[in-house]
Amino acid sequence: MKIQQIALSGAMAAQAALNTTSHNVANAMTPGFTRQGALFSAVGPTAAGAAGSGNGVRVPSLIRFSDGYKSHQLWSAASELGRHETVQPYLKQIEQVMSGEGSSLNKGLDAFFGALNAASVDPNSAPLRQQIITEAEALAQRFNGLNQVLLNQRLSIGQQRGASVTQINNLAEQIARLNGEITAAESINVNPSGLVDERDLRIDELSQLVGLSVVDQPDGSRSVSLKSGVPLVAGGVAGRMALVNQLDGSQAIEVAFAKESFKVRTEGLAGQLGGLYEFEDGVLMPTVASIASLAEELATRVNGQLAAGFAPDGSPGTDLFVFNGANGLLSVRPGVTGDELAFSSDPLQAGNSDNLLAIIGLQNQSVPIAGLGTVRMGDVYTQLLGGIGIRSQQSQASFDTAKTVRDQAQQSWASTSSVNTDEEAINLVQYQQMYTANMKVIQVAGELFDAVIGSLR
Amino acid sequence: MRIASNQFHITMSTSLQAATARVEKVLTQMAYGQRVLLPSDDPISSVRLARLDREEAALRQYRDNVGSLMSRQRQSESILDSISNDMLQLQDLLLFAADGSNSSADVNAVSGSLESLRDSVLAFANTRDQEGRYLFSGTASLSPTISFDPAAAPGARYTFTGNTQQQMVVVGEGITQPANTSLDDLAAMLNQLDLTIVDLSAPGVNLSDPGVRGRLVATTDLADATFDRLGERIARLGGQQALLNNLDGAHANISLSNRQAALTLGQLDYGDATVKLQAYNTSLQATQKAYAKITAFSLFDVI
Repeated sequence: MKIQQIALSGAMAAQAALNTTSHNVANAMTPGFTRQGALFSAVGPTAAGAAGSGNGVRVPSLIRFSDGYKSHQLWSAASELGRHETVQPYLKQIEQVMSGEGSSLNKGLDAFFGALNAASVDPNSAPLRQQIITEAEALAQRFNGLNQVLLNQRLSIGQQRGASVTQINNLAEQIARLNGEITAAESINVNPSGLVDERDLRIDELSQLVGLSVVDQPDGSRSVSLKSGVPLVAGGVAGRMALVNQLDGSQAIEVAFAKESFKVRTEGLAGQLGGLYEFEDGVLMPTVASIASLAEELATRVNGQLAAGFAPDGSPGTDLFVFNGANGLLSVRPGVTGDELAFSSDPLQAGNSDNLLAIIGLQNQSVPIAGLGTVRMGDVYTQLLGGIGIRSQQSQASFDTAKTVRDQAQQSWASTSSVNTDEEAINLVQYQQMYTANMKVIQVAGELFDAVIGSLR
Repeated sequence: MRIASNQFHITMSTSLQAATARVEKVLTQMAYGQRVLLPSDDPISSVRLARLDREEAALRQYRDNVGSLMSRQRQSESILDSISNDMLQLQDLLLFAADGSNSSADVNAVSGSLESLRDSVLAFANTRDQEGRYLFSGTASLSPTISFDPAAAPGARYTFTGNTQQQMVVVGEGITQPANTSLDDLAAMLNQLDLTIVDLSAPGVNLSDPGVRGRLVATTDLADATFDRLGERIARLGGQQALLNNLDGAHANISLSNRQAALTLGQLDYGDATVKLQAYNTSLQATQKAYAKITAFSLFDVI
């Protein structure tokens, strides 16, 4: 009886649809899950004749509700977000440290020049001279403390970069493995939707770490490469990223793929990795250089002016500061005493303060500072801090924008691919009715059959 | 647009986070009373605040210097005043000695008083500060203002060993004031006085002797001139202090306006902050209520 087979195909299709619906409901909260739907298609009639309605329904495959474009948007938004998110804590720390009372170089410079000013009232007073040395030491400590904070940041950036690269390699391997599994599943006609979801989640994680360009291949795999075109994953093969320490303390990136090795440009990497490079090259190292250059100018100019003067006992002036160009550290010359400070412009006039006035005047001298140009010595730090404030403000604004874009991309992706339980509830009711209706047809077919048999009796 | 079920939860958690961040920011601002907590909150204002801060530090130092300079000048003034009192007595005694009706014994007695006044003037001129530096030696503060050589002949025993250079103190941006006064003319007066004392202390001194009288007249004239110059110095010190007072007042005014500007730039408007806090709280509560309502509906509850 054909009618029973047709009804059976309907019941089977309804069951397949119910399975799909229950799978969707079960995964309503699974991150990255793409909902599926049963695709029904009518089976054509087998026998010739005008009365052949057809042979029921079949489910040739399940529909995967996904939009490749939205996935790509999701990933590029993740790269932007990672790029701006990762530098927030570093910028906050620099700002906090540099504007803090205890570590502000402005306060240290003010105290040092204040002590010099105070000494101008009585340039021979031993306590006032000692006060200058004490303030000079405090100032040097502020310089070195700040230097230390910045170098520690560089260290932790290096560590974070190392961790990122390890994670990138892990994810690339997983993506390559999943690519292989997906291709294999498709070749034996197994639904790869779950595998695809998992792979896309990995690509999403990877895109937070570094900017990607993803290309879909006909065999169902996705090729992943850096924005510059350096390949990370092709089919089932993953590349290997490595950091190479450079002589100047920076780190370069190389990717080994198959037998090739690619040098990666660090500009425009995007993702966390790119954010870290941008911060290190654009904020951290210029700040370190500016501060070192301020320390050097201060030391050179104060020492130079002291050398032009004479101590109270008539001996020529000696250095107050020692600047170490190799590590950027500033210190007060060991063993320097108050009565060595050369404030007099005449070896015979102990109470002369002309040279002291010249040293005080240094505060208003314009000095060449790396990264800032020629700036009044007393204004260098303020400008530096203002610059970092603006950088940080921009970065926060970019971060907010990136977050909004990412949220939007996620919403847009979810709007196509995520589960709406109310919708599934409706499907459930519909397919249940479809199933019941087909069962009813089988029952009717049975009754028809019984009627035929009965009439023959 | 089709909305997925978990979208509600994501939207909710995003807006909760945003609202909490806003509330936290206002609370921190209120706790510190500061509008600008980090330079990135308002980079321009924070640069202006930093500059005001630095100007404040400089002004504080200038005002400190003005204070110390004034106390140093007052010290000089009081010593010059004492010297000037001695000189007044000296003038009286010299006039007394010049009176021809005095007996030689009286004149001998006057010479004793003149001697003690001479030593007193020398001691005052060689006044040292608490660290042992000479106040009136100009910038040669390590050498005595007037050196006394007992071995030399009277009339050449006192020498000025300081200089007339001035020691400048910074009392404002590019403004300096001299801190010291040089007593360069006292040595000549003391030498002249010394000669008269030798004359007057001689037993049976004859004031009609033209040599004695000539020296006495010269001493009196020099003492008068020295007294006048001391008066000028004291007046100049007074004038300088008036100037410093003015300068201090000007510094105080600038400092006040700086602090007012800093308050305007950096201080939190509590009224505004309270209103904001209230608004954020209200929107937070509304979001929470709406979430509770929306998540309460599910088609599964009714089928």
